Amino acid sequence: MAVTTKNLPQLYRFCFLMTGDAAKAQAAFQDTVREAATRSEGDEPPPDRLWFFRDARWRCVALGEQGIQAEPGMLEEVEISATAPRQIEQLEPAQLALWVSAAPEPQRSALALFYLDEFSLAELLSLLEMKAGELSELICSGRRQFQSWLDSTIAYYEGETFDAGQG
Amino acid sequence: MPDKAELLLGCAPITEKSGIDRAMRVAIQRARHGKKAATFGHQQAFDAAIAKLVRAIPVDAQIAEWFVNENLIPVVRHGWKKIVRNPVVIAIATALLVIGGVVAYRVHEHLKDFPGADKARRLLTVGASNRSVLLDPLQTDAGALSDLFFMKHRLEHYDVPQEFAEFKTLGTRVFDDDEVRRVAQIWIKEKRMQFFLFPAEPDKQGKINDFSDWRFVELEGWTGAVTQRNGVCFMAAIRGGEKDLQGYLEKKKQ
Repeated sequence: MAVTTKNLPQLYRFCFLMTGDAAKAQAAFQDTVREAATRSEGDEPPPDRLWFFRDARWRCVALGEQGIQAEPGMLEEVEISATAPRQIEQLEPAQLALWVSAAPEPQRSALALFYLDEFSLAELLSLLEMKAGELSELICSGRRQFQSWLDSTIAYYEGETFDAGQG
Repeated sequence: MPDKAELLLGCAPITEKSGIDRAMRVAIQRARHGKKAATFGHQQAFDAAIAKLVRAIPVDAQIAEWFVNENLIPVVRHGWKKIVRNPVVIAIATALLVIGGVVAYRVHEHLKDFPGADKARRLLTVGASNRSVLLDPLQTDAGALSDLFFMKHRLEHYDVPQEFAEFKTLGTRVFDDDEVRRVAQIWIKEKRMQFFLFPAEPDKQGKINDFSDWRFVELEGWTGAVTQRNGVCFMAAIRGGEKDLQGYLEKKKQ
């Protein structure tokens, strides 16, 4: 599929989820688009849609390694709650991006690409270079970890949400 | 350990997309109508809420400017040098050159054609496929056969030109051809040459224009030198090229 400027907002959102930082996302996004423009002008074949996300992914990973990084460790996991959508409604996009960007690779990329809701399963597997089982496990554990974080950040009691004070 | 369907459900698409494979569709359908419908429903609602939040990620004004610029990613324009070097283009060009060459050759060949050239070519195929046993044995000078053709077959002006009148014959026959009509065929000792005499072809205006010079036709390794007198064509046919016949024609001129 050819890439037009219509696809670019999603690419920026992906960079933002991957880095959790607007400046870093902007840098990764701009470098990717410039690289695509250079390739198009040269003898190389024109980049396709997946190329943009592949290129941006590695740029974001490299940028993420430069700053302060989350300490590796086992995150608590709980089952998804029926009230989760209402809890998520209370979040700011930046909070979600911070949480996703703190996840270890390749879970971070898997979550960022999956929640863009842009790609088919086959495209996701191609982008992430993994099997369906691996992707499924990363997404499922990501959900449970996020639910745990949600519960500790935004509690929900019978229709009313209360900030748990950890956002 | 989760089965394949459960693994697929773990990464079930958030919104319906075209191109979802059959295994995934089946897994989703079963989950929606099975025991785990509630759990799967929670997962779908959870994913939809996060996807909605992702779509709400604001795009910086500075970045948004990039989206407006349609020329950001230039369309690749292939230079003519690159196009010329493409093997596919080279192959097509070669094929066109060959086809063009064949067409040009055919056109050039037909420009030189005279009325009756097609008949002459047809008789070259007869000459190439015949054996001398088909002919009535007759050993004489080729020039002496005019009387025979007239007396026996009532073929007027079926005369062998002077250039070839002294050639010794092996045999002769007269036959009817669907296209050429009455044909006299003479087999010569010299280099297995064959002579053909046949009615001339009228031109587009319906006129028969004799020609005293020699005109050549070629087909599958055989060459015929044709002249036309009194409404009758004479063709000397030989296996070989025009050069092989030119020798006889020039010899007589001297």
